[in-house]
Amino acid sequence: MDLYRLGIKFFAAGERIQPAEFIPIFHEWIQKQAFENHLLIDVHNYSHIHEGPGILLVAHQGNFSIDMTDDRMGLLYYRKQPVETLTEIIKPAVEGCRLLENDPRLRDRLRFHTDEVLVVTNDRLLAPNNDETFSTFEPRLSSALNQVLGKTFKLSRISDDPKERLTIRAVTITVRG
Amino acid sequence: MPTWKEKLAGRMDPLLAEEIDVFETQMVLRRQGKLDEKIFAETRLRRGCYGQRYDNGHRHDGIRTQQLSLSDVTKGPETLWDAPGMQRIKIPFGGVTPDQLDTLAELAEEYADSVLHVTTRQDFQLHYLHIEDTPSLMRRLAAVGVTTREACGNSVRNVTACPLAGVCRGEVYDVTPYAKACSKFLLGHPDTQGFGRKFKIAFSGCKHEACGLTSLHDMGCIAVKRFENGKERRGFELYVGGGLGAVPHQAKLFDEFLPEEELLPIAQAISRVFARLGEKKNRAAARIKFLVTKLGIEEFRRIVLEERKIMPEDDRWTGYLPNVARYQETPKRQPARLNGHERPDGFEAWYRTNVYQQRQAGYAVVTVTLPLGDMSSRQCRQLADIARRFSGDNIRTTVEQNIVLRWISEADLPDLYRELKRIGLDQPGAGTIVDVTACPGTDTCKLGIASSRGLAAEIRNRLSEKFFVIDDAVKNLHIKISGCFNSCGQHHIADLGFYGTSRTIDNRKVPHFQVVLGGKRQENAAAYGLAIGTVPSKRIPEVVTLLTERYVQDRAGEESFQDFVKRIGKPELRRMLESFMDVPSFESDPSYYSDWGDPRVFTIGDLGAGECAGAVVSTVQFDLAAAERLVFESQLKLDEGDYTRSDALAYKAMLQAAIALVRTEFHDVPDHPDSIVNEFRTRFYDTNVLGDRYAGNKFAQYLFRRHDSPPQVHTRDSAHRIVEEAQLFIEAVYACHDSLTERGTVGISGRLPVQIGKTAP
Repeated sequence: MDLYRLGIKFFAAGERIQPAEFIPIFHEWIQKQAFENHLLIDVHNYSHIHEGPGILLVAHQGNFSIDMTDDRMGLLYYRKQPVETLTEIIKPAVEGCRLLENDPRLRDRLRFHTDEVLVVTNDRLLAPNNDETFSTFEPRLSSALNQVLGKTFKLSRISDDPKERLTIRAVTITVRG
Repeated sequence: MPTWKEKLAGRMDPLLAEEIDVFETQMVLRRQGKLDEKIFAETRLRRGCYGQRYDNGHRHDGIRTQQLSLSDVTKGPETLWDAPGMQRIKIPFGGVTPDQLDTLAELAEEYADSVLHVTTRQDFQLHYLHIEDTPSLMRRLAAVGVTTREACGNSVRNVTACPLAGVCRGEVYDVTPYAKACSKFLLGHPDTQGFGRKFKIAFSGCKHEACGLTSLHDMGCIAVKRFENGKERRGFELYVGGGLGAVPHQAKLFDEFLPEEELLPIAQAISRVFARLGEKKNRAAARIKFLVTKLGIEEFRRIVLEERKIMPEDDRWTGYLPNVARYQETPKRQPARLNGHERPDGFEAWYRTNVYQQRQAGYAVVTVTLPLGDMSSRQCRQLADIARRFSGDNIRTTVEQNIVLRWISEADLPDLYRELKRIGLDQPGAGTIVDVTACPGTDTCKLGIASSRGLAAEIRNRLSEKFFVIDDAVKNLHIKISGCFNSCGQHHIADLGFYGTSRTIDNRKVPHFQVVLGGKRQENAAAYGLAIGTVPSKRIPEVVTLLTERYVQDRAGEESFQDFVKRIGKPELRRMLESFMDVPSFESDPSYYSDWGDPRVFTIGDLGAGECAGAVVSTVQFDLAAAERLVFESQLKLDEGDYTRSDALAYKAMLQAAIALVRTEFHDVPDHPDSIVNEFRTRFYDTNVLGDRYAGNKFAQYLFRRHDSPPQVHTRDSAHRIVEEAQLFIEAVYACHDSLTERGTVGISGRLPVQIGKTAP
């Protein structure tokens, strides 16, 4: 798959948790090498940056962060190394959310929405922010999200500013009946 | 698949584009094991690609040291290819445009961790990059006129200048065009390629302020004017041999008045002397400050002036001067006073510390405070848009790790403040005690001992909470923190400086900071502080409180903090610190045994080998590595069936190898094939120097034949033959150089030994 530089963010719900609380958790993940197919390397505290990457967990294959963009905390996973399928990018993010939700230090205080997902194409060369890229990418992304999360999503572009990366908001389609 | 190389073709300076292509080829050679790792390390450092902590493949996770399972390929000694690294991006005199900020933001997002860091040399740094991404990154920078060349390594680092140059109320004249010219002239200059260590240059528009910090530079230039025969002449008070590091030196006066037309030739002459006489084997004593101390400033000056006399003339020395008078910046908006405009909440406090009235009426400089020198890629792009609206291209980074927007119409200040607040860059306190400077320390630096950024964040948070009630005398103090003694955080020139160290208590390591008090930033870093004592990291915020409270309490009139420190004296200051020096046992308080913002048990086991200087690689080694790269490219062209290009590259490779040897005897050999071949023939062939090992003289014939009789028709056979011949010729040159080195005929610098104290011929 040519386009592998992608980010996927799951938004946090529940109690507002101080970013610093994630630091010992991420260090522990490194001790345990908690992710399959990931070499976890380091933790970086960026919580002093307004609506920035918060706490960063660096891995060779991709970075995880407690992202604070638009003042909406969430777990953001950016893929850095090539993958075969889109699902390989979604799965580590989902796994990260699951680990955090189950961590005893955060249990009952943190959960992640799975009915709203943000996907960022982090490659302006291969995926410029335009309708054509969106049209090409939408069915693949929709299918991959459905495959991993078992839900059907409606996808829309966040911005048509060509300087911004193509960013897609995916929300579940509610079936009334 | 499209590439940035294709997309940006024609949009990059051809020289920059070619350099990046060369670097990309060197990467290929290194991955294939065809380029020595030491040479590649220095090569990549000279492209700004720096190592980062844990890139040796080991990291202590708090329980044990993990071996990081990355590929065995290295990008330098004990530096794994796949390990995340840092990219430093040079911003001469800190000048940056909105379009460049946009590109920097894009690169931070796509290749790094979405954060941009401003350094104490006005550079940008991106962290956690993969080396494979660097050629694309460099091309995208080149397309907006930015280079990473010589951002690290044993080279001329980013040329810095006062961020107020040109708009300052107290400057003698605007040093910007001189800093720009100096940076451009020395970039990649052959005379700056043989240093044993880095070389830092700074410009200041005046003598009394701190902004230029010329006293701590290898070469510091302060603007001065003279009147001669009724005419005003511009020049520089020139200083050499300053530097911080473990052994700080104040720069020595080289010339009270160096006329502007002599700035570049003298910079070149100093470079040549440093390259020739500077220490090469012991990197701890290789900065020019040690050479100046060893020779004495008078002898150093004499040698430089002798060198100046024998240098070949260069039109570039004065070619830029006619444009200096025409140099000016274009404001985006008309000037207007700040009268009666509605002022939003928080504006007044911000205005007091972050706004500087320019000497041009109706305009101001606004300092955008970046906490710990950081901003997100999103903030960077938003800041670019704000600058487009209010400031135009007039943006500069600062050595205080902030950004200034210049030529802001004063009437726009409230709107500008609202915009900065919207993007979270509205913090007041620029240039005050809360605006703490810190190097990367243990966050990312291989040499970091303690967490300078963790401590800086803690101090900043505590002081910010009470900023509005802090005594004015304390508000104006400066705190600077380095993660180790190497002083990248410039702790020596702070009122309150700290550098990281470690102590062992009951067989456990405890992070500490040495307290350095009373440094003086003013007058271009006029004095360095006194080391008072070492305190556990976790007690440093209390030390700040104690010292600042005592200063407020015992201050004599308008006494400066430097004078206060001197008056109180080291024994008393030491006594004050003693109550903080004890470390409780791990069992009673384990918090002392970990660092700020890092819950792991503290260790210094993660320390790596510094890349600050890189290995000393002689110019001969660089030239020969370049020759090998050309042969490699020649081989590729042969494989592609482009025999004409293959032949040309192989010939160029032989010339490159020949010039490597010639330069050991004749540094200024003209870069022309006839000159190179003639000099090579006279010095190494006719004398049989080349031929004393492996029948080198036979291989020299390959060069001569190709030079004298280029092929009329290019065939696969003819191209193949010359590729083979070029490889053999390079081997012969290597053998010859090894032989000369063994005999001591050439030094490690790759140049003939020079006697100190003798006049050059």
